[in-house]
Amino acid sequence: MIDFSSIYEGPNDIERIFEDMFRKSPLGSRRLFPQVNIVENDEGYIVDVCVPGVPSDDIELVLTARNLIIKGERKSPEGRYFRQERMAGSFQRVLTLNVPVDRDKVTAKSENGILRVTLPKAESVKPRKICINAGS
Amino acid sequence: MKDIEKKKGGVIPATDILEMDDGFHIIMDMPGVSVEDIVIDIEESELSIRGSSTYMEASNNLRRLHTEFGAQQYERNFTLSDLVDHDNVKADLKDGVLRLYLPKAESMKPRRITIS
Repeated sequence: MIDFSSIYEGPNDIERIFEDMFRKSPLGSRRLFPQVNIVENDEGYIVDVCVPGVPSDDIELVLTARNLIIKGERKSPEGRYFRQERMAGSFQRVLTLNVPVDRDKVTAKSENGILRVTLPKAESVKPRKICINAGS
Repeated sequence: MKDIEKKKGGVIPATDILEMDDGFHIIMDMPGVSVEDIVIDIEESELSIRGSSTYMEASNNLRRLHTEFGAQQYERNFTLSDLVDHDNVKADLKDGVLRLYLPKAESMKPRRITIS
């Protein structure tokens, strides 16, 4: 059996540099937004995005050849702030996918502020058994 | 409103506190928390909020490639000032955000005094 499944590189280096900048920033509490979890199996990827307070309509998912881009804006209400710890404004994260996904079958659903994006891998990259015809 | 940041094992949720014309609003990020899993208590002037989030990892032979969050216990306490009408605090949970509405006490509302 030849396994065609991918080896994941993790978020690309450019993004990592920005992450580090934010972590070291004197603002301290400014965290990466939105936080994401990525899991993979033979069938595809599942990306969970932690977007509390952002309705699905305000989130844009863009799929390019190698990347899943999650972007949107979190609006904050007008008023006199005594404390503002919640991230406000526009956000974007770029995730690298190592194998092509079947764009037409990508689905997303949101529950309690967590958006789950399911990205099935393209048929051509799914692991499969290859029969060897001996002596034909 | 004074924020008592004593940590009792729970994570302190990111919070906005703001004043609008109708009163004060406390907005907290509590992703993954559903209505059943949240407890809000007011005891004398102490407001305490506790919630636990459920995060169901997708099952079936999954390889974890990247993990930034998980299930969480949230906890935060505030001391309500006399500016707030303690009896009429309202709460609402939507898209993983808890929003508390604390109306101003009647005695604190601006009013005009007429000269008799």
